[in-house]
Amino acid sequence: MADPRAHYDEEQGALIASGVWQAEAAAALPDLAGKTVRVLDGAGVTQLDTNGAWLLLTAARPLASDPMPELRAFQPRHLAMFDLVAPHTAATARHIAPRREGMRALTGRGTLSLWRNLTGLLAFIGHLAIEIADLVQHPGRWRWREFGAQVRDIFVGAIPIVTGMLFLLGVVFAYLLGDQAQQFGANIFVVDGILMAILREISPVIVAVLVAGRTGAAITAQIGTMKVTEEIDAITTLGLSPLAVLVIPRMLALLLAMPLLVFIGNVAGVAGGMLVAQQQLDISTHMFMDRMADVLLLKTLLVGLGKAPVFAIFIALIACRMGFAVTRDSRSVGTNTTSTVVQSLVAIIILNAIFAVAFVQLGI
Amino acid sequence: MNDNVIDVRDVSTTLGGHSIHRDLSLTVARGEVIALIGGSGTGKSVLLREIIGLLRPQAGHIELFGQSVWDSTPEQMNALRRRFGVLFQDGALFSSMTVEDNVATPLFEHTDLPHATCRQLARLKLALVGLPLDTASKRPSALSGGMRKRVALARALALDPELLFLDEPTSGLDPISARAFDSLIRLLADSLGLTVFLVTHDLDTLFSIIDRVIVLSNGSVLGSGTVAELKRIDDPWLKDYFAARASEETMAHGN
Repeated sequence: MADPRAHYDEEQGALIASGVWQAEAAAALPDLAGKTVRVLDGAGVTQLDTNGAWLLLTAARPLASDPMPELRAFQPRHLAMFDLVAPHTAATARHIAPRREGMRALTGRGTLSLWRNLTGLLAFIGHLAIEIADLVQHPGRWRWREFGAQVRDIFVGAIPIVTGMLFLLGVVFAYLLGDQAQQFGANIFVVDGILMAILREISPVIVAVLVAGRTGAAITAQIGTMKVTEEIDAITTLGLSPLAVLVIPRMLALLLAMPLLVFIGNVAGVAGGMLVAQQQLDISTHMFMDRMADVLLLKTLLVGLGKAPVFAIFIALIACRMGFAVTRDSRSVGTNTTSTVVQSLVAIIILNAIFAVAFVQLGI
Repeated sequence: MNDNVIDVRDVSTTLGGHSIHRDLSLTVARGEVIALIGGSGTGKSVLLREIIGLLRPQAGHIELFGQSVWDSTPEQMNALRRRFGVLFQDGALFSSMTVEDNVATPLFEHTDLPHATCRQLARLKLALVGLPLDTASKRPSALSGGMRKRVALARALALDPELLFLDEPTSGLDPISARAFDSLIRLLADSLGLTVFLVTHDLDTLFSIIDRVIVLSNGSVLGSGTVAELKRIDDPWLKDYFAARASEETMAHGN
């Protein structure tokens, strides 16, 4: 294939092109600044497509007001390309500057979207309350099968990861705490520390974070994709409520699964601590159990387990609502899924802080 | 010189234990506008995916422009991809990009042109497929189905390919938009000298813009020719297929 070439002939005012003129030929165009092209000569052009024709034509006639150059010695099928392209050169060549938004516009847009997000959440909670009231009146509409499938996905599926993570955290926490306690010969108090930290703080928060990342993201992605493929619309036209079919089973499954997962996390975390206590601090399993029976208060356990349903409700609300907020393109599935995880994590941390302060004030 | 643009020889395909194609062969010459028809499940779309290099057949040989699709190096295959364009059934536009960037993407990826020039060439393609300029900055989700098909066609044409594959180009369009799209394809095929290979269910497309029809049945080519030639083939599915059109016409004339 012949490389594209072009040069400007001063005498005739002609742009003389040769070779294969396709999109890549742009680099072969000479600098025509300040020169007038009266003639386009294509005697040597072997191939020309619309991209090539457009490049030659806009080079010869940068402004729509410029006269059309004379097309000389082109083959008839190449002239046909110019016929196709010529009516559109002026409009396509115009430079369209991308719109840039100032600080003010961005702030306004951000505030509006935050406002819409909050009112949207409020409306969503309202709709949900109506559906729940409806379900209480007509218990026959309760979807056991969907509920069971969700419990399996959310609870059973999460057991390995929750066990593994909490066990490791228990190991790390006991190891660091034991290192400090050994300096004071206060080995046995490591048990108190492990129980307090794992049961009250670490297990509920870490389980909530894992569930937000695992289940929250999955719920948003699934409901969002169903929105894109119009499955949600299909559910509505079949006379069913998408909230009753999709949201309520997921929300109640989360509500049931979270405290159970936290309990499993408690056991795994304490087991991890027990292992380190035995290996590093010479506290036998038996001593550990005895000490646990002495110092473990029921309220420590209940405080941790009690946080779980609250986290569950927030994760379910955020995840389902972000799923329904997906617009009909694939990008918004991605952004909304990300948003679910971020919102859930922020909610978990804030709620946990509120709990900590409230429990101290209430003397629990 | 062999001027066959598409050459499929003895292709056999088995998917999930089902035999789809058995020793299927067909050729398409340069400049032809070809339609592939066949009942549901006869493997039209599978064949299309095999020809454009998305799905490897179990046996057989497929050549585009005399170059094997399945025995090429990745570099050769990329050079080959530059020479054909594909319009997927639902357009397959990238929903995160503007219309203009969708059309300019092949130019971004396959050429060294400055992005501004790529976008200008993309706008030229949008104008060629008959879209107003203000669509350029919109997102695909803001367009109607017919316009999305046109954008997808503009993207398929971005690099001025010699060969165009269309998967059910008129499905999901209203009859008026469908006929307008048909004539656009024919116009572009004639003016750009394209070879067009389309998979379709639309009888009106067959009757209006197609040079030759290839019929798939039972895993191989049942026949090929103009619509008039196909009507003479004695095959129950084909008879039913054209009978649908005939009854439509008698109803229209009966009124």
